[in-house]
Amino acid sequence: MSTETVVRATGLRKSFGKRTALDGLDLSVEQGRLYGLAGPNGAGKTTLIRTLCGILRPDEGEAHLLGWRMPSSRVRSQLGYMPQDFAVYDDLSVLQNLEFFGGLYELRRAQVRERAGELLELVQLADRKHQRVGTLSGGMRRRVSLAISLLHKPRLAFLDEPTAGVDPKLRRALWDDFNRLAEQDVTLIVTTHLVEEALRCHVVGFLNAGRLLTQGTPDEILAETGTANLDDAFIVLQERGEGRS
Amino acid sequence: MKSLAVARNVLRRIAHDPRTLALIVILPLFFVLLYGNSFSGSYKNLTIVIVNEDNGLASVRTAEVGRVTLDVDLAQAFVDALDPEMFDVRESGNPDMVEAEVGRSGVWAALVFPKSFSNAVVNEAVRASGERRVEIDGNTVTLLPSDPVDGPKTILVLDDGNPLIAGAVRGAFDAAFAQVLASQQSSLTVEGLLEVRALHEGKIRMLDFTAPGIIGFAMTLITVMLTAMSVVRERTSGTLTRILIAPISAWQVTTGYTLAFSVIGVLQAAELFLASILLFGIRFVGNPGVVALIIVLFTVGLQGIATLISTIAKNEAQAMQFVLFLLIPSIMVSGVFWPLETMPATIRPLSYVSPLTYANAGLRKVMLAGGGFGEIRFELAVLGAFAVVMLLLSVLSMRRQAYTA
Repeated sequence: MSTETVVRATGLRKSFGKRTALDGLDLSVEQGRLYGLAGPNGAGKTTLIRTLCGILRPDEGEAHLLGWRMPSSRVRSQLGYMPQDFAVYDDLSVLQNLEFFGGLYELRRAQVRERAGELLELVQLADRKHQRVGTLSGGMRRRVSLAISLLHKPRLAFLDEPTAGVDPKLRRALWDDFNRLAEQDVTLIVTTHLVEEALRCHVVGFLNAGRLLTQGTPDEILAETGTANLDDAFIVLQERGEGRS
Repeated sequence: MKSLAVARNVLRRIAHDPRTLALIVILPLFFVLLYGNSFSGSYKNLTIVIVNEDNGLASVRTAEVGRVTLDVDLAQAFVDALDPEMFDVRESGNPDMVEAEVGRSGVWAALVFPKSFSNAVVNEAVRASGERRVEIDGNTVTLLPSDPVDGPKTILVLDDGNPLIAGAVRGAFDAAFAQVLASQQSSLTVEGLLEVRALHEGKIRMLDFTAPGIIGFAMTLITVMLTAMSVVRERTSGTLTRILIAPISAWQVTTGYTLAFSVIGVLQAAELFLASILLFGIRFVGNPGVVALIIVLFTVGLQGIATLISTIAKNEAQAMQFVLFLLIPSIMVSGVFWPLETMPATIRPLSYVSPLTYANAGLRKVMLAGGGFGEIRFELAVLGAFAVVMLLLSVLSMRRQAYTA
């Protein structure tokens, strides 16, 4: 496996008014890793992802993606981004959504159709491709959003809570697929507020109050904290962090 | 009681949105102030041209000394009787040029006084009143009636393209003539003195006059509202962020939006024009191609305004309020109902920055007077500059939206 660092962030700090969302955060992710960014609601996961992608400008610090300092237009074609909200056109069909975003990534119509077929199989929406997105359930719309973010075969994908509202069976299938993508050298950074879900990742970063509490393989974190599961590990790390501050 | 709970909840939510609260309080006051100030009811600095060929003399028969020549200069008396605030009087020596001049360069009317104007008025007055005794150089002489003076009439060339101004000019002239005639105790009527040549032969109705502005205003409201709402919806739904993360520039996104909504704007304009012409017989004597060019430039500029509004507005409701706040006043200050000439100086800057002012003026020149590119080059230049500046600003604002989404 290649060891090229595709995400490198140093000293990221971002505040919204008096609230500090990122508090001098460093992060490094190597290519082909499935990186789980876990933490409770309000930990700063979404802010971190939006800052790394260049949607938000950090107050301090800098982020480099695929070797380019963000924000940079040079990495856009290689980035996949699935926001936490659906970010799909409710008044278009599933396929029309994919066709529009595929066009932005300069995919030809035939390519979009082929990729759409694969991805809709993955997210189990193949039989709904002509249905208007607005008529789908919340979980289905999230899956459309996931399909859009993987449409152009990105080298690096940021998926913000992709499994929220998804049933357990499909959630498992999605995690299997994230692992398969990582085997194909795609780097995925996946946020989840279900800490235990992060067990499926190569590397896990625990985020709390805008700080990275720890980062390592699930086994390393369990060993470090002397706990039997990641939920307990997170609580131990959170308490240690509070003890220090 | 549940209705009260719903009402309380609505009011509480509004109270939590300072921008909406401010608009609710300020908007009505703003409209009243603007309305009250924008139509002062008085006209100022209307340019008129006077060709004074009158020699100012009246030759009258007397009972005592044959004919005497009176120095009365009634054409000048007419000019002196005009309200100096209302009219900006320009003198010209060329009667053949006045018809070409009126309707251009802001000249609303021209009067050509014939050489015998004073003579005709005085003799007509003496003839109507019979003998009249006057003092000349300390001697009392009796003026005697003579045969009717059959000289050329005073010519009034009037730009009636703006029925309001034409009416005001005509009213002021009639009053000044009446004053001159009264000073000579003349029984002449203004109609008897004047030969009126109206540029549009009185064919322009108030409906025709206001139609271009109303159409422009309808376009403004519909286009800006549609675009602003769409962009805000893109942003709040997250699709705009998704677009701006893709390999597409803010310029491409903006021009894409502009293209789509300009097509809609032009189609709406076509619908507005067709409906106005077919249903109400609105006057349209110009080249539709020239009108289309005005509409395209105007629409592109409006997209920019809409994109800027969408940058400020946090949600669709706020976008709607900003549209109302910014655009409703435009119909009051852009010369749609009452001419810019009636606006007080404090309001005029708003007129000059309102793009509707130029769209309205351009459309009027083409639709009502059949003006071509040459006649509306100023309006086209302003609308072109407006479109370019707004397009650039909307690209910048689109970039900003990428970071505020």
